[in-house]
Amino acid sequence: MFDWIYTISSLRFAILTCGFFVAFSWVGTIIARPILRSFVKHRESVNDLVGYVLSCFGVFYGLLLGLLAVAAYQNFRDVENVVSSEASSLSALATDVSAYPEPERKNLVWLLRDYTRDLIKISWPNQQKGIVSKEGNFAMSAFHERLLKFEPQTAGQEIMHAETLKQYNNYLEKRQMRLLAISTSIPEIMWIVVLVGAMMNITLVWLFDMRLMSHLFLGGMLACFLGMMIFLIASMDKPFRGDVSISPEPFKQIHTRLLEE
Amino acid sequence: MPSPAILRKENRDIVLQKTHTGKSFALVAALLFATISFTLAGCEKLSKDSQDGLVEQLLGKPKPEPIQVGVLFSQTGSMAISETQLKHVVLQAIEEINASGGVLGRPLEPVIQDGRTREDIFAKRAQELVVESKVPVIFGGWRSVDRKAVIPIVENSDTLLFYPLQYEGNESSRYVFYGGMTPNQQILPSLEWFMSPEGGARRRVYLIGTDYVFPRTANFIVRKFLEDKSMQVVGESYVPFDHNDFTETYKAIRESNADLILSTINGSSNIAFFRQFAQQGFDTQASPILASSIGEAGLRSIPAADTTGHYACWSFFQSLKTDRARSFVQRFQEEYGSDRPIHDPMESAYVQVYLWREAVERAGSLSPKDVTKVLETNIEFEGPGGLVKIDPRNHHTYKRVRIGRIRPDQQFDVVYESPDLIRPEPYPNFAFPGWNCDWTHGGLQRGPAVKLENQR
Repeated sequence: MFDWIYTISSLRFAILTCGFFVAFSWVGTIIARPILRSFVKHRESVNDLVGYVLSCFGVFYGLLLGLLAVAAYQNFRDVENVVSSEASSLSALATDVSAYPEPERKNLVWLLRDYTRDLIKISWPNQQKGIVSKEGNFAMSAFHERLLKFEPQTAGQEIMHAETLKQYNNYLEKRQMRLLAISTSIPEIMWIVVLVGAMMNITLVWLFDMRLMSHLFLGGMLACFLGMMIFLIASMDKPFRGDVSISPEPFKQIHTRLLEE
Repeated sequence: MPSPAILRKENRDIVLQKTHTGKSFALVAALLFATISFTLAGCEKLSKDSQDGLVEQLLGKPKPEPIQVGVLFSQTGSMAISETQLKHVVLQAIEEINASGGVLGRPLEPVIQDGRTREDIFAKRAQELVVESKVPVIFGGWRSVDRKAVIPIVENSDTLLFYPLQYEGNESSRYVFYGGMTPNQQILPSLEWFMSPEGGARRRVYLIGTDYVFPRTANFIVRKFLEDKSMQVVGESYVPFDHNDFTETYKAIRESNADLILSTINGSSNIAFFRQFAQQGFDTQASPILASSIGEAGLRSIPAADTTGHYACWSFFQSLKTDRARSFVQRFQEEYGSDRPIHDPMESAYVQVYLWREAVERAGSLSPKDVTKVLETNIEFEGPGGLVKIDPRNHHTYKRVRIGRIRPDQQFDVVYESPDLIRPEPYPNFAFPGWNCDWTHGGLQRGPAVKLENQR
């Protein structure tokens, strides 16, 4: 539902998130404050009471946000490692095929080059939209077909060919891990808890008895911080999407190398 | 009771405090108003115009919806090596068009499918493209069987097919635009040049081809064409795909005393065919091979020494010395590697994307009917190989033919270039009497059934 957030810049997304929570806090402070305060009117130490509840609530909510932020960051790092590992594997495969005799070498290098280019120019942009492209499958199948057509003529070629096939399978595994990572994200139910929790935090702040300016300032600060935390988690939630995403740079380096071969 | 002085001071403090609070309130209210307006505007747009509305609001300008176009070539199977190159140039043209503003202000989005070198898969993928992706146009195809499998689908779904290969002719469809040459544009003018003094005034031609529809139909047309010419057909034979022993063929050629060998051999058989030419003691000066199915890409799998001095006839050669050709080659090789050869069908595939774009821009619509109407107005495009023009009558393409002599670096020296664009004729009268195609007046006119005499 909120996929559009990945189509705007991080700065805009951050301003929008913080702006939304601050606006919610201020509107509530001005409109709902008089109503809510009527419940606790003329009671002594009302601020202490609200403060205790807010602290208690804040601990649980803070823990939830903290854990989510760490999990999102960890997931981001893991996917980044998967991509690095995939690129290393592709690089090793490129090295293996460069040892084949002509014309197989050239055909295989071309196919790998095409695959890498499609990955950078077609699959990666699609991946950034959350789409798993089929182009990579075509190019990999063509490469596999070509590889299987090669018939080793010497013992040395047999060893080389077996090693290349092994490396190819290794690469496929890593590629599959990346493809699976395209759709990983925090479950929707957790997002609902996070958003409802944020709203409850802000609502509790409305209950404080203080001057309007101070109320707006403190409520705004808390809402802004909540907005920033939610922005941070959402930005890292889907590692291939938005401004804060994993780049295809390792593959670009391999493509450049393959172009030079 | 407080003294009057104290009361005055308290009153002044209250007034000051009220004034201070009033200013702050005004400031906060202004900020609040701005924030609420911003958020509400976004929310309102979000609820009204779907999710893109808010993005639109934030970015300040609407994001044009892409136009999906079908790209259907074999990316696996035996034709993958050849057809993938065509996919590359189609994508290159699409990227260039998008970089220059797209079509009707919208970017093109290729929907790529793999025909897997199987006509049934071609038909299935074409069906997916027109039904699921609802593309208004498909760029694709290499083999005639694949094209013939796709034609009923585009005809039934009101979609256009741009087919880039040279082919045998004897076909027409209102929904298909043929970008390659027909035999009357490629083979026949080349034979005329070989009959001329510049071409060696050759008189005896031997026809050899792979055993499938293109060589047999093309050779049938050649035989009919040469009936009243100074050159005669002295022999004709066919070999299966992947055939690699041409001993008998060369024996027959020697006995026929041919001074020209017209080859429509396709695929890997060319390796053995060219190698055995020299091994059998033939000379490229006395009886060269004129190949109509092998270009720069095919040559790279054959040792250069075996092919040097022979000929090929196409409309585009990588070695053309025009600015457009150089620029096209350079752009492609920057993306795909400087060792990547570029051949005629690639240029056709590239040009066809631009022709479609030109027609859509002029029609101001994506509707295949509107686009066809524009394409039937002698639409032209200056491509890497020079000017090309769609023939409104039969949807084939006016092209220039060039004959190239193969160099040791597996490129071509152009030895002949037709002075003008050659009109495409899928049904040459001398071969298919009574047959004619004119989609602007009456459509396909069928003559008496023609039995190709050289068919099995």
